[in-house]
Amino acid sequence: MRFVRAEDRLPNGDAAPGGHVDPSPMLGTWFATDKQSAGVVKMELSERDGAFVVRAFGAGSPDPIDWGEVPAIAYAKSVDSGEGMAVSAVFDFGFEESLLAAYSKGGILVLDTFNTFKDGSGRSAYFSREFFHR
Amino acid sequence: MIARLSDRPSGNATPIDPATLLGQWINYDTSSRNITGLTIARRGDAVTLRIAGAPDVDWGEVALDPFSLTTAGGEAAAFRAAYDFGFARIAILAYLNKRLLVVDAYTTFHDDSGRSNYFARDHFWTR
Repeated sequence: MRFVRAEDRLPNGDAAPGGHVDPSPMLGTWFATDKQSAGVVKMELSERDGAFVVRAFGAGSPDPIDWGEVPAIAYAKSVDSGEGMAVSAVFDFGFEESLLAAYSKGGILVLDTFNTFKDGSGRSAYFSREFFHR
Repeated sequence: MIARLSDRPSGNATPIDPATLLGQWINYDTSSRNITGLTIARRGDAVTLRIAGAPDVDWGEVALDPFSLTTAGGEAAAFRAAYDFGFARIAILAYLNKRLLVVDAYTTFHDDSGRSNYFARDHFWTR
């Protein structure tokens, strides 16, 4: 079994959990704690036909902007856990790509976004950190 | 075009300055089983990342993409990079909180080991 750090290794004697991470603990609709947020205002984490998906909404005026739904990846806290506690997904808008990466802790979802523009508009790639509750 | 209000242009954008990221970063947690240290350097116009996995595995050097806090650019506040080891891919997503570097590693496995994809976080300081 290959590894690049100690944490990649299964604890002695433990069987591998099978490679499936259950996203159930993260499923639901998450709302930005900052009601004046100019970033992501809502996320819907759900399972559709057995696949884990994320739908996000960006702050807009007058209404939020529906980003649609994309496939997501669920992550556990370790190689021998099957319980999802983090998620990543990529939204490609054509003019911009946004990588969303979040982890849950104490009932809060902490979201980092890494946003890169591809339209030659001169806008800088930027990062945001936002907090969500169900 | 925008996908959210924070995408709006904010004046004349300046290039992202990666100076805040450069240097050798050391894990506060000396018993971490994740990453022991990072080296971020400038190579011409590019910025590179080298990671040491715990306890002593050189991950090699990859390109790093810096990010500012707004569309106006300026000082780097975060970065992303990716390692592809074949059996595993690791997205390195990091941000600065004052002079603390918070590094998240999102790992997916692509072998038949049955290991779970997992998330790991560590905090780093530099001299």
